[in-house]
Amino acid sequence: MVTVDDVSFLGRGADGASVTLLDGISFTAKAGEITAIIGPSGGGKSTLIRLINRLTEPSGGRISVGGTDIATMDPLQMRRLVALVPQKPFMFEGTVLDNLQMPFRYRHEVPPAAESAAVAEVLTLARLDRELLQRDARSLSLGQQQRVGVARALITKPQVLLLDEPTSALDRRTSDELAATLREICHGRNLTMIMVTHDLRLTEKVADYCFYLEAGRILEQGRGAELLAHPATTELKMFLSEPSDGEG
Amino acid sequence: MDNQGLVNLGILDLVVAYSLVLVAIGLAKLKRIGQEGQMLWASLRMVFQLLAVGYLLHFIFAVRHPLPVLAILLVMGGFSLQVIGARIKRKMPRFYQVVGTALLIGCGGVTFVFCSLVVHYSPWYDPRYLIPLAGMIIGNSMNAASLAAERLGAEMRERREEIETALCLGASARQAAKPALRNAFRAAIMPTANTMAAMGIVSLPGMMTGQILSGTEPMVAVRYQVAIMCAITGAVAITAYLIVMQGYRSYFTKAQQLERWE
Repeated sequence: MVTVDDVSFLGRGADGASVTLLDGISFTAKAGEITAIIGPSGGGKSTLIRLINRLTEPSGGRISVGGTDIATMDPLQMRRLVALVPQKPFMFEGTVLDNLQMPFRYRHEVPPAAESAAVAEVLTLARLDRELLQRDARSLSLGQQQRVGVARALITKPQVLLLDEPTSALDRRTSDELAATLREICHGRNLTMIMVTHDLRLTEKVADYCFYLEAGRILEQGRGAELLAHPATTELKMFLSEPSDGEG
Repeated sequence: MDNQGLVNLGILDLVVAYSLVLVAIGLAKLKRIGQEGQMLWASLRMVFQLLAVGYLLHFIFAVRHPLPVLAILLVMGGFSLQVIGARIKRKMPRFYQVVGTALLIGCGGVTFVFCSLVVHYSPWYDPRYLIPLAGMIIGNSMNAASLAAERLGAEMRERREEIETALCLGASARQAAKPALRNAFRAAIMPTANTMAAMGIVSLPGMMTGQILSGTEPMVAVRYQVAIMCAITGAVAITAYLIVMQGYRSYFTKAQQLERWE
């Protein structure tokens, strides 16, 4: 479970002046549920997800994972519990297998072999063919790289999975496949999953709970499909009426 | 120093030598290359700067006291730090602290070891040895420091995405920055390694040539050259190592996050 309590973040604008990017954000993301954070670009979604992974420090407020304030945890230990898949997952030099083994190398642990159950499990979860294991990771399509990114984050069995625009590089079919995968992973592993997305189709399909974030504030929240079907605020109505530029 | 066999250059000899610069300036003017003003200015600067240094060294040699020698070394170190700072447009956080400390430890340490354990002259501050030897060590380390700091900054900027991905996967700051550190260190020591490999075949090194011209036995000059090249390589490697190892830390917070440095 992830609890975000009155979190704010001050960033710098183009002119160097201080700008409030997140203001009084509070929510709880439960284990075994997919929490979606939707909203227009520049609304602070990616910043929020970076704060939960502690890639950036909040200016105020508290974030806790499993009841422990992440500011009191060792950042390396904390990132073992909380994995983040960025919008365009970076592929390290080498094969797909090298990429899947990377987190273990960082932790000075024995990396799982190609034939291991751990590798087989994440390949199945991320719907990746076994034959891709020996392929140069950088030669894969963006969609495949995105799925390698998900598999790489899952292989160490984190408790929380954060996804930043997981379908931005995917076509509709692959996006639907990924949606099914995410649901399976989340419910099967009892993961706390938080994703930020523009993709309303994905949100409708997978989100158990949804927050609408605009200009650094949560303006509305509700059960996933229900919130999208019955928006209350003008801002969300306008957002839903606009074409979704990140839609897969 | 043994001046036996040394041909002393008089004013007239220098005038004849300078006429070669005037020939170069004349050619530039004739062919309308347009660099004659710059060449004249640079050559005059060279003459006056060297004359000034000559008089200063003459004075320091005569005084035979450690303080002016140490003052000269400090000025040389400070000037090299200022030159590196001027060369690098996008400086790493805490640039002067990181580079200054690396130069002090790298150059100071190697100069001390080289002068006290290899050359064994007395007194320890003898400016005839200490100033030129430290000068060569500082000059080469300055170039290496400049390359290390500039390349580290460029690598950290270009590899931002890679570094943050590694951090997300549980890497420490050092593990995440390792490819950047490796490339920056390699870029810094490459010129010295190349110089060593080409020495004696492509070029005869300046110090050795100078010693031979001033009447030193070629094999003595060669031994000096080998020793100073080893000292330069050590100083370059230590300075570059300290810059990359201290420098990368300045890009991260204590919570293993990349600083927003620009």
